[in-house]
Amino acid sequence: MEPPDLQVLAALEDGLPLVHDPYGEIGRRLGMSGDEVLQRVQKLRDAGIIRRFRARINQRLLGITANALVAWHCKGQAAEQAGTILSAFPSITHCYERMPVQGRWDYTLYTVHHGFSREEVQEEVRMIAEMAGLHDYVVLFSIDEFKRVPNVRIRENGGGIG
Amino acid sequence: MNAQPQTDALDIRILDALQQEIPLVAQPWEDLAGRLGVPESVLLERLERLHCAGIIRGISPVIESRPLGLTAATLVALPVPGERIREVAGVISGYPEVSHNFRRDHHYSLWFTLSAKDAGSLHAVLEEIIKRTGFSDTDILNLPTIRKIKIDVRFPLAGRRTGGIDGTA
Repeated sequence: MEPPDLQVLAALEDGLPLVHDPYGEIGRRLGMSGDEVLQRVQKLRDAGIIRRFRARINQRLLGITANALVAWHCKGQAAEQAGTILSAFPSITHCYERMPVQGRWDYTLYTVHHGFSREEVQEEVRMIAEMAGLHDYVVLFSIDEFKRVPNVRIRENGGGIG
Repeated sequence: MNAQPQTDALDIRILDALQQEIPLVAQPWEDLAGRLGVPESVLLERLERLHCAGIIRGISPVIESRPLGLTAATLVALPVPGERIREVAGVISGYPEVSHNFRRDHHYSLWFTLSAKDAGSLHAVLEEIIKRTGFSDTDILNLPTIRKIKIDVRFPLAGRRTGGIDGTA
């Protein structure tokens, strides 16, 4: 990555401008052409540094207020296979494999679920558990959201650089 | 939930399209408006409104953490008593290394994600958080990331119940 790439990513953290020529608008701020801005974004996309380019929405304002983190216990080598099964469900937004705390918290797979009510999420988790053959799990519903931001923020944390 | 902003069928179609992929072309709004069958001016006006209402939080690229030097991450849970939740959550949210911080319905009541450039820095930040909030290593759950299997945050809306606003009104 070149310094102008970081400048472009930092500028895009404010959002793609809502104007006819958004890259030209960013270019004017950064002192480069709109074409150059777009080319840099395309290059970062091709390199996989940009994973996706989309809108983040506040689903709570649309009624999707229930959110659960589910911790799953899978024995032995089963985590890999179970992870593949769980991540295939379109309604699961996140699926991670994590190290357990031996003897105190033996869950190794974590998924995140959303819905219009706790009952809806509860029902979905029950169905997924059945289909995946995983019967030892904990459903952790959220009560308050204190912070939710992208983990890479060029301006605030430099994305870990420096 | 009667404080929900009003949305109509076009808003729902716009939100669904925006959550897919913004086309990487010079005039993406014109392109998107064409696909939705509305003039670009109408789309831009809707986007402004949805943004002001807080429904659109941001339209920006998702950046991979690894190429940017964030190689270590963990999920941490603390057993915080109800009366201390806001105070402890406030301390934790103040760290730039923390991206998500939620209260959850469990004995382990506060769950947050932490990422840093390497395992050493991650450990140092976590130790500082634990010390500042008055917990010990044996109180907490530290669940380091082994593998990201899936991250795909999108909420398909068309045809779903949205708290009385079903997009057909």
